[in-house]
Amino acid sequence: MTGWLVARLGRALGAAWLIASLVFMVSRALPGGPEQQALPEAGDLSRPTASMVSAASQAASQQALRQRLGLNLPLFYVTRGPGPRGQWQWHGAANQYHAWVRSLLHGNWGYSYRNGQPVLALVRPALATTLPLASAAALLAAGLALLLALYLARTPGGWWQQLVWAGLSGLQVMPLFLLALGLLLLLANPDVLNLLPAAGQAPPDSTAGQLAGYWLARAALPLLSLVLAVLPELTLPLAAALRHETQAGYATTARAKGLTAAQVLRRHALPNALLPLLTTFTDLLPTLAAGVVVVEVLFALPGTGRLLAEAAAAHDYPLVVAGVLLTAGARLLALVLADVLYLLLDPRLRPTA
Amino acid sequence: MNAAPLSSRRPLACWLAFAWLALLAGAGLLAPWLPLPYAAATPDLLHVAAPPSWAGTGHYLGTDPLGRDVLAGLLAGARRLLLLSLPATALATTVGALAGAAAGFWGNRHLRLPLAAVAAALAVAWWGLALPGPVVLYIILALAGLLSLLQWRGPRAAAPWLMITLPLDSLVLGLTTLLGSVPRLILLVAVLAGPPLTQPQLLGVFTVVAWPETARLVRAQMLRVRAQPFIEAARASGLPTGRIWWHHALPHACRPLLAYAPLSLAGLISLESALAFLGIGQGPDVVSWGGLLASVRQDPTVWWVAAGPGIALLVTLLALQKIANSARYSGSS
Repeated sequence: MTGWLVARLGRALGAAWLIASLVFMVSRALPGGPEQQALPEAGDLSRPTASMVSAASQAASQQALRQRLGLNLPLFYVTRGPGPRGQWQWHGAANQYHAWVRSLLHGNWGYSYRNGQPVLALVRPALATTLPLASAAALLAAGLALLLALYLARTPGGWWQQLVWAGLSGLQVMPLFLLALGLLLLLANPDVLNLLPAAGQAPPDSTAGQLAGYWLARAALPLLSLVLAVLPELTLPLAAALRHETQAGYATTARAKGLTAAQVLRRHALPNALLPLLTTFTDLLPTLAAGVVVVEVLFALPGTGRLLAEAAAAHDYPLVVAGVLLTAGARLLALVLADVLYLLLDPRLRPTA
Repeated sequence: MNAAPLSSRRPLACWLAFAWLALLAGAGLLAPWLPLPYAAATPDLLHVAAPPSWAGTGHYLGTDPLGRDVLAGLLAGARRLLLLSLPATALATTVGALAGAAAGFWGNRHLRLPLAAVAAALAVAWWGLALPGPVVLYIILALAGLLSLLQWRGPRAAAPWLMITLPLDSLVLGLTTLLGSVPRLILLVAVLAGPPLTQPQLLGVFTVVAWPETARLVRAQMLRVRAQPFIEAARASGLPTGRIWWHHALPHACRPLLAYAPLSLAGLISLESALAFLGIGQGPDVVSWGGLLASVRQDPTVWWVAAGPGIALLVTLLALQKIANSARYSGSS
């Protein structure tokens, strides 16, 4: 089993590596590198001298910048010369990909093109916002989904149950940004209902308790949007599985023994219905990772999602590549974790060797 | 899934969904020829964030905080759905169906190619990429000729060393896993971080992102179809394998796509709108529903900018879901 686990982890790491390498290559091969950010725009009024700088000196400073960032090197170990019948050239270790891999292995994730700060120093404080938000949303959604599914699986369904079901399937197709925007416009709008703060700073001279209260109020709407976004994909399959299980023979036996419908659902059907849903629970991570991008941009929270979106909008490739690597790593780890959990929970799946 | 809570009034709702989508398609197709007083991308700086009015300015649905006409923006967004999301879904569904069906049908061990063809393909690739060493190219070519000669001379279906098995299933599954290792939105954010792409490039990117789901679905269905007796009967009657795949297995394996393709389209539409909402990968002159919705953030009091595109987007997605549901029930019953 250890060997199987190691092989599984190795494959996951390889996939994460491959996807990050691909994104790195694409990002370096595209035009629009750092020189566009370091050099002033043509109509920039704050630097009146910019327009007087001659084209030659501009080109020279661009060249110097590219050299400092190592962008003048060839992209990969082998590259092909220009033209339809260009020759292949071997560059050895002096290439951008090699330098990137080496610094990554040394724990250096590169420097932001925009302000020159190390990527890790930007990512770490952002994670301190994103991780609590995402994990709170996941826990809340999982708990709510359990309760709702147990409610939806009751066989004599009433009018309310149909309403909940229809609402959930409507939510399923609703994009998160629309949902969050609706919540923002309804609940944090001075014109409609100004219940919760959605932007801005904490009041300057506030105690620790006030500060915590402020951040809780700030986090309420993002949390609500995230929970509502992942709730249908957790609840609806679970409810369907529960209904399926209540028709199985063992559930009939349990009912014949005199258990109530709720007891049959909770003690007998739930453990069997929950197992196939482990995959769904691990699929939460991509939904949350994508949701965090939207929600943090919309509600102006200083997290990784907003960092990634702003970096992408500003062509800040080192940050983008780091974001992709982080997400891919977390996703693949979650997949491995799901496999291990399956083995722990269901002995039938264990390899017999 | 349980059909009971959704089955009431299905036909009417389904017709309404079709009607809305037809309206959308018509509006998108005719958008350049409709007599609108304002273009979608040109701001009217005299009427910034103007509320809807039927008299005077001619901004029937108002303008956004940048001064762009909301009605024209709605039509431009519909046209964008028609020109980008729809073709991307069609392409992705085709690619995914073919790849998934091939992977499910031939598996890892049943697609056997003649070694000569592989050598010829290698030679073509060598020549096309202009790899160094023309001598190697000649050797490969000679090898291909020799192998094909052996194949042609030898008795049929003999000489197993002349064939090579292609692990198609592993290839397709590996690709889907690789593309699935990063959430689609984040992958798109990373790829579109560069300068704005042209329309065909965007189409390609969306297709690459969207095909794995379809491929996985069709592959699973094909594994079921492959074991059916009629496939065995077709084999026994001596039909060539490719013909069995194309004429007999593929139509059955693609049945679930009838219900899945609308959902896939809905997913792509919401993905594209989310990207536009974040303002990533869009040229400054491209107007879409997501972009219009994003402009509300500059001024939360202009509810009319959010209401039009938001309701249009939501109704479109709900209509697609309705159609997918009714296709699923009619397919299963």
